[in-house]
Amino acid sequence: MIEYDEFENKMVLKLVYYGPALSGKTTNLLSLHDILDQDGRGDLTVLDTKDDRTIFFDLLPFFLTAPSGLKIKLKVFTVPGQVKHDATRKAVLQRADGVAFIADSQLSEETNNSESFSNLEKNLEFVGLDIEKLPLVIQFNKRDLTNIINEDDITRIWEPTGIPVVLSSALAGHGVVETFRRLVELTYGHIDRKYLLGANHGLDKNMFMQKLTGGTVNDAGFKDNRHIAAEY
Amino acid sequence: MIEDNQGVQYDYVVGEEKQLNELIKGPDIMPLLKSAVNAGASSAALVNSAGETLFRYGDTDREAGLTVKKPVYLEGETAGHIIINGHSDRKHLLEAIGELMFNAVKIILQSNFKTLLATETHKTVVYQSYEELIETNRKLKLSEGKYRELASSLEKQVQERTEELNRAHARLLHQEKLVSVGQLAAGVAHEINNPLGFISSNINTLNQYVLKLKEMLSFYHAAFDKKGPSGECVEESKEKWKRLKLDFVFKDVDDLIKESLDGAQRVKKIVSDLKGFSHIDEDHESDADINAEIDRTLNVLTHEIPQEVEIVKDYGKLPSFSCNPAHICQAFFNIILNALQAGAKGLTLRIATRSANNMIAIHFSDNGPGIPESIRNRIFEPFFTTKEVGKGTGMGLNVTFEIITSYRGAIEVESEAGKGTTFSIMLPLPQKVENV
Repeated sequence: MIEYDEFENKMVLKLVYYGPALSGKTTNLLSLHDILDQDGRGDLTVLDTKDDRTIFFDLLPFFLTAPSGLKIKLKVFTVPGQVKHDATRKAVLQRADGVAFIADSQLSEETNNSESFSNLEKNLEFVGLDIEKLPLVIQFNKRDLTNIINEDDITRIWEPTGIPVVLSSALAGHGVVETFRRLVELTYGHIDRKYLLGANHGLDKNMFMQKLTGGTVNDAGFKDNRHIAAEY
Repeated sequence: MIEDNQGVQYDYVVGEEKQLNELIKGPDIMPLLKSAVNAGASSAALVNSAGETLFRYGDTDREAGLTVKKPVYLEGETAGHIIINGHSDRKHLLEAIGELMFNAVKIILQSNFKTLLATETHKTVVYQSYEELIETNRKLKLSEGKYRELASSLEKQVQERTEELNRAHARLLHQEKLVSVGQLAAGVAHEINNPLGFISSNINTLNQYVLKLKEMLSFYHAAFDKKGPSGECVEESKEKWKRLKLDFVFKDVDDLIKESLDGAQRVKKIVSDLKGFSHIDEDHESDADINAEIDRTLNVLTHEIPQEVEIVKDYGKLPSFSCNPAHICQAFFNIILNALQAGAKGLTLRIATRSANNMIAIHFSDNGPGIPESIRNRIFEPFFTTKEVGKGTGMGLNVTFEIITSYRGAIEVESEAGKGTTFSIMLPLPQKVENV
């Protein structure tokens, strides 16, 4: 959590899109920005890029107000994926409330995926976050390409860990909102346990997700979003 | 919390909330407000979300009229407003100015926001990297120090190990020597014991024979004196008795036999002490009487003790001490021999034993030349000797030291140049188990 100001009745949360270089983290944010309503989200800020590669980070803020009047601001960041920007990744990861790991589905990227995941584990420890407790969602992006890891393998590897996995094609907008929703859902649970959003602020999970993603917490909701994404 | 080199603490979290006045400064906004007034507004201002005026330009007295209010967005949130005041006739103009201002401020804010985020992130990264470098540097220095220390102490360690090895080697040699000396002594003792046995036995028998011969001879002599077979014979016998000094022989033969028996007895005792000293028969721990062991050692050294040396024994009553007597004798042997060899004429060696505080204390005090202070703390070192090369091994007192410490004992030396030396040995007795 970036900050919680009781006096101003304001809470600022941070979600981070992590992953290897060129796996589509910025594309995820661009897609989210385009798919989700203007209402409730702010402007996408893309910081200095060089040859379309992220050097610092991208930032997409969301806003909502709980029935109690608590203002919640959710800032979604991407990290630079390139190995050389590790210090920036650490800085961005500081005080994160949830992480979406964007993996590249291409078979040629398997090594990069696992190195980046190890890097995530290492950096989470560095900034004092417990990967076992932190809300974490994995997205296998670029499902529209050929020569990609098959679904059975993904299930076999990741199912035992209990970490939610979403298949996506960020460029086409598929799975982007679902990834975000899964992460937001887990994040709500994580924050609610400590700050009693439901009990003290009248903000239950459904309302939280409705306000942030414009859908409801069920499969139909995901389908809706896919539909929107496809239309887009 | 990061601190820069000016001591300013730097604690920035990526994503931290920013206020409007942090993002837009006078030089950014004032020209715009001024332009608005020049274009026909009476006043133009920027206020924050709480309604406080941050910047204003123009005539504030003529507020009456028309007000155009445009929001200022920061990250999509309303962070403040642009307020344009003017004459109510100029509605369209004021609206147009407001729209222009809205877009201009939006672009300025976006640009400044990006710059600020990039700058602060960059700063964070730089400071963090700097901290990491300092930490790396510290660790490198530490390991460099370790390696330096290792390099410098390596030689010393090699030296120490070598000395240790030498010591162990010498000890081994010494033990071997002790064993072979013991075996030799046992062998010699055995070989001597046999002939010594029949020598003693024969002398005893001879003594009885001589007594018989003497008795017979005396009988003849007495009979001749009274009534000999012929006068000449009597005189001849008397003369022959006298010439052969048989009176003296009769007396001396007893002494000779007695001395020979004594001698044989002494040889027997020496052999027995030699065997006892080497303890070749009992190479294991047993309950020993320390006083008896000292006596045994002194007996073995008899030939080394010159006539004029006086040995004063001041033995106290001692409990038995569980030890390997051969070792203990060896320890005493080396100290006594040292005193005798260093001793001047008229040497007195006083040996005192006491038992107190669950300890046996043994003091060897001589009135010899003493040990110079400069070498006093080295005398127990292996190979340390003041004797000529080839004369001493330098192992004597070291062996004593090793033996005493192996019984958890202590050995101390007190010495004064010209006045003498006292070696004190403390042997701890096993703790008594008391019934509670």
